[in-house]
Amino acid sequence: MSRAALAWTRRRRALAGYARAFAGNRGGMAGLAVLALIGLAALAAPLFIDADALSLTEAEGGRFQPPGPGYPLGTDAFGRSVLDLVVWGARISLTVGFLAAFVSVALGTLIGVVAGHFGGWPGNVLMRVTDWFAVLPALVMAVALAAVMTRSTLTIIIAIGVTAWPTTARVVRAQTLAVEARPFIERARALGGGHAHVMLRHVLPNVLPVVLAQTTLLVAEAILMEATLAFLGLGDPGTVSWGGIIQEARTAGAISSGIWWYMIPPGVAIAAVALSFTMCGRALEGVLNPRLRERR
Amino acid sequence: MARQQEPARPPARAPKSRAARRTAAVLTAALVATAPALTAAPPAAAEAEGADTLTIAASQPVDSFSPFLAQRLISTSIHRLAYDYLTNYDPRTNEPIPGLAESWTTSDDGLTWTYTIRDGATWSDGEPLTAEDAAWTFTTMMEDEGAATANGNFVANFESVEAVDATTLKITLKEPQATMLALDVPIVPKHIWKDVGDYSSFDNDEFPVVGSGPFVITGHKPNQSITLEANEDYWRDPPKFDRLVFRYMPERDAQVEALRAGEVSFVSGLTPAQADALKGTENITVNTASGKRFQGFTINPGARTQDGEEFGDGHPALEDRVLRRAIMRAIDKDEIVESVYGGYAEAAGGYVPARYDTYHWTPDASQRLDFDPGAANEMLDEAGYERGGNGVRVSPGGDPLKLRMHVHNDRPDYVAMGKLLVERLADIGIEVDNRTVDPGVLSDALYSGEYDLIFTGWTVNPDPDYVLGIHTCGALPTEPGTMRSDAYFCDKDYDRLYEQQLAAYDDPEGRAATVKKMQEILYEEAVVNVLTYADTLEAYRSDQIASIQVQPDPGGNIWGQDGHWSWSSAVPAADSRAGAAVSPWALAGLGAVVLVALGGGVYFLRRRAATAGDRE
Amino acid sequence: MAATEKAGTGRPAAGTRTRRGRPGLHPAVRYLGGRVLTALVSLLAVMVTSFFLFRVLPGDPVAALTQGRSVSVDQLEAMRRDFGLDQPLPQQFADYCLGMLTLDFGMSYQYRVPVADLIAERIGPTLLLAGTGTVIAAILGLVLGTRAGWRRGSLMDRVDTGVALTLWSVPSFWLGLLLIVLLASGAGLFPTSGMSSPGVEGAFAVALDVGHHMVLPVATMVAVVYAQYMMIMRSSVLDEMGSDYLTTARAKGLRDSVVLRRHAVPNALLPTVTLIFLNLGRVVSGVILIETVFAWPGLGSLFYSGLRVPDLPIVQALFVVFAGSVIVMNLLADLVYPLLDPRVRT
Repeated sequence: MSRAALAWTRRRRALAGYARAFAGNRGGMAGLAVLALIGLAALAAPLFIDADALSLTEAEGGRFQPPGPGYPLGTDAFGRSVLDLVVWGARISLTVGFLAAFVSVALGTLIGVVAGHFGGWPGNVLMRVTDWFAVLPALVMAVALAAVMTRSTLTIIIAIGVTAWPTTARVVRAQTLAVEARPFIERARALGGGHAHVMLRHVLPNVLPVVLAQTTLLVAEAILMEATLAFLGLGDPGTVSWGGIIQEARTAGAISSGIWWYMIPPGVAIAAVALSFTMCGRALEGVLNPRLRERR
Repeated sequence: MARQQEPARPPARAPKSRAARRTAAVLTAALVATAPALTAAPPAAAEAEGADTLTIAASQPVDSFSPFLAQRLISTSIHRLAYDYLTNYDPRTNEPIPGLAESWTTSDDGLTWTYTIRDGATWSDGEPLTAEDAAWTFTTMMEDEGAATANGNFVANFESVEAVDATTLKITLKEPQATMLALDVPIVPKHIWKDVGDYSSFDNDEFPVVGSGPFVITGHKPNQSITLEANEDYWRDPPKFDRLVFRYMPERDAQVEALRAGEVSFVSGLTPAQADALKGTENITVNTASGKRFQGFTINPGARTQDGEEFGDGHPALEDRVLRRAIMRAIDKDEIVESVYGGYAEAAGGYVPARYDTYHWTPDASQRLDFDPGAANEMLDEAGYERGGNGVRVSPGGDPLKLRMHVHNDRPDYVAMGKLLVERLADIGIEVDNRTVDPGVLSDALYSGEYDLIFTGWTVNPDPDYVLGIHTCGALPTEPGTMRSDAYFCDKDYDRLYEQQLAAYDDPEGRAATVKKMQEILYEEAVVNVLTYADTLEAYRSDQIASIQVQPDPGGNIWGQDGHWSWSSAVPAADSRAGAAVSPWALAGLGAVVLVALGGGVYFLRRRAATAGDRE
Repeated sequence: MAATEKAGTGRPAAGTRTRRGRPGLHPAVRYLGGRVLTALVSLLAVMVTSFFLFRVLPGDPVAALTQGRSVSVDQLEAMRRDFGLDQPLPQQFADYCLGMLTLDFGMSYQYRVPVADLIAERIGPTLLLAGTGTVIAAILGLVLGTRAGWRRGSLMDRVDTGVALTLWSVPSFWLGLLLIVLLASGAGLFPTSGMSSPGVEGAFAVALDVGHHMVLPVATMVAVVYAQYMMIMRSSVLDEMGSDYLTTARAKGLRDSVVLRRHAVPNALLPTVTLIFLNLGRVVSGVILIETVFAWPGLGSLFYSGLRVPDLPIVQALFVVFAGSVIVMNLLADLVYPLLDPRVRT
């Protein structure tokens, strides 16, 4: 068997082990199930919601119709079904959540690995910069960034991604330091592996588990942040997102008008998804971080 | 707040020093000790809503109590209550009526106005109010830049102002001015103000503020409330309520809930949904008034300076009147009235809202640009706007019709209208890039001419001079970025008519006819496009306010009147004290909180005892 | 909200670094000096960022302030001059820096009073709200976290953890709005917004009144944040339970509750309390949303209102205040931590 194949088998075994451990965590499994359900609904949404249902000018329902036949969650000001909006909103909210988490984790991983690998003054400088970013109030920064750039989903993703990375950088740096202290890195160096080789082939695969758990937790944060920015009126007006629906409900005065079906569902959806990601993240952390696992 | 996952675990720890343990223990003890005290703070007994206090929910904080500086509606509304003006507007008809000035005369050339100031009016500190005060107020605004901050535009055309004697005020103008009976300038007491050093930073916040209106400003808790007391010596009928309180509540929902709870007696700026919900509520009266504002958008006809220098990057095809008119035909104003305003609005005709029937103009059948996408498409087909492969039309000049649309993100009605426009314009082959942005960004785009469609709206005063003046060629920028207008509109006929109405101060009917002709030009050119006149939606507690004057009457509004009529006329309801009683719910809440606190205390005490017992 | 930083993670590294100090200066002095210097540099960087971040905010404050009102070109020019916006950017920056050093944050565009006065006026309510919220959340977190950690895996642990994480996942502004509907207007138990009712006189009555107004905002804040304290306390307790001395203590035959109270909890408290401390700085900016929803007259709602104009002096100064409070708290924690944790002491 070649070395590559060996490594592959080893990783697959480890993966199977992780999967079993994860399956044993009830919270994690519940979270995963909810996520799978919502993800599936989001993906399949175009199949059962036609464009007219989301159009402001074509929607057929009445204005602020309470839940009833045909409209399980009632309608909004334009007569659109709130259920359709919430299902459709999952697409944007999940996309923003994933991409923003990805941006921040990628940035954080890059900086964390580099800082941890090189150490010395470059690493120090990078960590100072990280510390400094961590000090900036994330919401304030995100709001300012979102205000500076044009209103779009991309802007929201960047605003969240750019403000949320310092955590990841710190965690990854700590993990990198731990990995680099292990003997096989020494071996790789002795065999002539350059910086890039060590970082990509040895450090990265070993910090990935931590990064994965971190990402999962960040998605929850990102979805909440998206809702917050939309609530502050900084969302993309052209799309339907959960935060955007809450914002619209609020500006319509839905809360004080008794139009609960406009206000409650998107909030519940946000909470459900954020909770599911958190549960999954915690379960993953427990599975992937042996020190945590031992004490469970 | 900072939300946190489980952090990277702290390193395994060794037993700690005694000192550390003690510190931790002390900390916990301190935290524990404060907890019940804090959670147990019971609800205050419903505060004494004095017999005749009228509480008004305000959504903005005041910017300044100085009439020279105040620009927000909340502040100018309070000045309406605390100061007098030369003239007032009739509560029923909006027509100018005597205020501080009992009467007035004009010279034949219209350049000299002589006002007779009311004898016997006094300041709230007892000093007499004379023509000298008025002259001083206007002169200071003319001479001091700081004093001109808020209302400088009223005196920009003044040559001189003098107090001939205690009751005679003479104003000399450079040019005739149509707004001489609509000088919305609070007259301030010279004997207090003459010693102020810097008007641009004097906030006039020494309470009670010396004024001459039906109420006296007596207190201000920044960002919480403003209190005014009735001025019993006011020369008109003194107010019926003893005290007015403006409570700052930025959230609209909170305002409505406070109204329901009886915490406030009046809320304004309701959303249509809120108005509908409140209509069915006991003891609450909803007041629907035809609006002073219009809502609409302008189309960039090609930004240029007064010298004709072009700038900005507006879509070139928009210089074509046919395209602009086709855009108007693609928009369903009735749909906006229904889905954006829930029916609480009027589909617009002319530029001046229907509320002002003297000046309001409606297009006749032959002129109307009614909703008809088919007709709009035909217009565009004929004018050579071919549809491209993706359904987007291309102008004869070869530019695809992709238009930017700037919408204020702080105005929910504009945001909703913007979304409707995107879909409606797509029907006639125009692709709209919806840019819903902060008002600041929007005005940047406007002033630099870098826009295609941009939302706008103005509050129209009973005298429409200002909103008409911003569309004259003279309002174009002298250099890019200095515009007074909001549309880069310039039309020779319009300008001629503007001059004509300005000079027609002594011929109200002729002036109205001219103003209508001006609106006709605006409508035909379709640069300045008015979509709706939204209703003003307000509600008050009828168990606290028995009656209140609206303006105009009938069908007028209560908040933001041109005058103090609403609050000075409001009559307390007989049972207005009823709202002050402690509700059973509040008692139940108090009980619950006390129970929880007691429970918590007992729990902690028992734990303490248990700990003590455990000691070896 | 939604600050993702883990304040706690930077700490152990700091500790390790100081241990291998070069010879020369007393290590404690070096440690202290280094920390203070770092904090000062951060503060300076925050000041610079604050200026440029908000200068690039698009939007002309003068135009926004006069939007929809009748003003003449002269008036606009005068306002620009008043605000110093007619100056070239370097000059504005120099003025800003000089002002910051003397705690003169300039005049608010909207209110025309010194920003320093506004902040002084608003900081009390924010500290009251944030402080009360933090204290309650911390106590709740510590108590529940200890319980959950000690009885790990029990039904109580699962329920407590589940409830905490669920509340943590709820958007705070949404929860606040719901509470207003249900408890303030629905049941009429609490006032809907603001900090006090007009016309209340007397120290005791005012205190009661403010307390009454505080219940909902504080409840919202506590609901959303206590989970993090609880989770940390829980894992710290778990940590302690694995340690040898506890096993020994139990082997000695000490009763479980004694072991918990006398050994596990005091030791587990250290990381949690440190973290609470570190979070204090962040809490100040964290209440922006809650203050907005409940119209609480604090710094958060001031910032929100300033951002819309943009009222540059306000947003700049508050940005520095928000970030500065985190820096200062971090510094304090850095300085206090060695006193509490012997291992960091050299």
